[in-house]
Amino acid sequence: MDLSILPFLAAPFAASLILTGIHAYLGVHVVERGVIFVDLSLAQIAALGGTIAMLVPAFGGDPHAPGVYWVSLAFTFVGAAVFSLVHSQEARIPQEAIIGISYAVASAAAILAMSHSTSQSEHLKEMLVGNILAVSWEQVLKTTALYGAVGAFHFVFRHRFLLISIDRARAVAEGVSVRFWDFLFYASFGFVVTSSVAIAGVLLVFCYLIVPSVAAMLYADRIGPRLAIGWTMGTVVSVLGMFFSVQFDLPTGATIVCTFGLVLILMAFAKPLFRRGRLARPG
Amino acid sequence: MMTSLRFAFSWRPARTVLSVGLLWLGLAVVATPAIAALRVVTTTEDLAALVREVGGDRVVVETFSRGYQDPHFVEPKPSFILKLVGADLLVVVGRELEIGWLPPLLTQSRNARIQPGGRGYLDASMNVRILDIPTGQITRAMGDVHPSGNPHYWLDPANGRLMAMAIRDKLTELQPGDRAFFDQRYADFDRRLSEAERRWEAAIAPFKGAKIVTYHRSWPNFTERFGLNVIGYVEPRPGIPPSPRHTFDLIAEMRTQQVKVVLVEPYFDLRTPEAIARDAGARVLVMPPSVGGTPEVSDYIKLFDHLITSLVAALTAGR
Repeated sequence: MDLSILPFLAAPFAASLILTGIHAYLGVHVVERGVIFVDLSLAQIAALGGTIAMLVPAFGGDPHAPGVYWVSLAFTFVGAAVFSLVHSQEARIPQEAIIGISYAVASAAAILAMSHSTSQSEHLKEMLVGNILAVSWEQVLKTTALYGAVGAFHFVFRHRFLLISIDRARAVAEGVSVRFWDFLFYASFGFVVTSSVAIAGVLLVFCYLIVPSVAAMLYADRIGPRLAIGWTMGTVVSVLGMFFSVQFDLPTGATIVCTFGLVLILMAFAKPLFRRGRLARPG
Repeated sequence: MMTSLRFAFSWRPARTVLSVGLLWLGLAVVATPAIAALRVVTTTEDLAALVREVGGDRVVVETFSRGYQDPHFVEPKPSFILKLVGADLLVVVGRELEIGWLPPLLTQSRNARIQPGGRGYLDASMNVRILDIPTGQITRAMGDVHPSGNPHYWLDPANGRLMAMAIRDKLTELQPGDRAFFDQRYADFDRRLSEAERRWEAAIAPFKGAKIVTYHRSWPNFTERFGLNVIGYVEPRPGIPPSPRHTFDLIAEMRTQQVKVVLVEPYFDLRTPEAIARDAGARVLVMPPSVGGTPEVSDYIKLFDHLITSLVAALTAGR
């Protein structure tokens, strides 16, 4: 391995640690709520907002104009509101259906908006799909501050958020305003996902969110141990993925995604070894 | 006493020789980088081919985007940063072609020599003929617009000559000791290119004004130079599927104007152009717009050899 690459991997590695930190936690909620694809959907809604904002002449078609960011954030909040409303109104319709529909419609609407845009679609793709290899320290620091704030917010109200995610019926019985807290959850979640996707791209963010949480569920039931396993797995996979990426000179984001898959499979196979302290028999 | 003295006398010259030798060796080690090959990194294989034409063995060229890849979308790898870190010269196509992926990598490399505006940064588009530069206010009605002009300018050999000239000047600036070498290699390339241009023009002459359709606006310099008439595009905006109206109008237009060839870059999906060509009674011709697009296209002159030969074959078959 060529060690001279290490200084250039410091910022991407720091970014992967923050991603692990916030997403492994949010992932527990997302998996408990069974809204697996909510991040893809919210990211797509944010991208739609960004595309529409770029059509506004005042922003001059510049994807990095501050106005574009605020418009896409506003779209994310509208999406969050939709998800929190639908859940409480019609229990027969699975929320994943609404999430899927939002994803499809937001993607298609972005294509329609793009067909009216004068700027190249490359700009849009650049905005949608970040590259973790090219992340700057400035971005890392900004994101750390942002995620720190969201994390603190969730820590303060952790009992309420967890209660709604794990036992919704009890939360309702206790008179918690589920709809309001759902909105806060999806809004803060959308806030995080929009920034993460700009750094690391949709695929990688999805993995940081879902895989550690699922891997942890193989080994633990309680929230505490699950978080510990999730964070450990996220960190180990980030290190391994970056190592493979350098060693075999592969695109970094995609390598980390595949490493996530690989480590999850290994953990699933290793699970019987931990059960009742004896080796599993084949079959 | 005597023996020890003799030993000392015999040892001293040996030591002198040794230290002088070491000094020379040290000098050689220090001096080597200055006379060694320039490390050049280019974003596309077309630029790499031109750098090789001019630089010969005095340069070591590495490139990011392969000829069969779309240079708009390059998936950065860790090795890209290392190549940028060690580069003496970075040559880019410019005109926003690399805007989606190069700038953050360049910042990451922290190599001050090759930052835009630096001595080791060459935007090959600066002295060439650029087409499709929008004039006046850019409006939505104009469709897909590159604000600084069409970046596929290397597809006119006259531009290739100008690019080689810019590369020669830049290499000479960075390594003045090799001026004569670069001049001679440029002159040789210029002569071979002029010969080839006469050959290509003769081959395409019978088809002057032939009407074609291209997938995307990658070929304005090429078609202008070789007298082809592009009457429409399969996909006017990259990544946006054409509307049924656009497709329908295009097929009708191709029928009335007797268009026989649809040019497609190798990295686009062939289904839409093939369906259109089938309906309009034309054929699809996949042409690589870059060196390295197919294995036999290994240098700049061979790129045009390949383009002209396959185009002439397709136009002949369509007659």
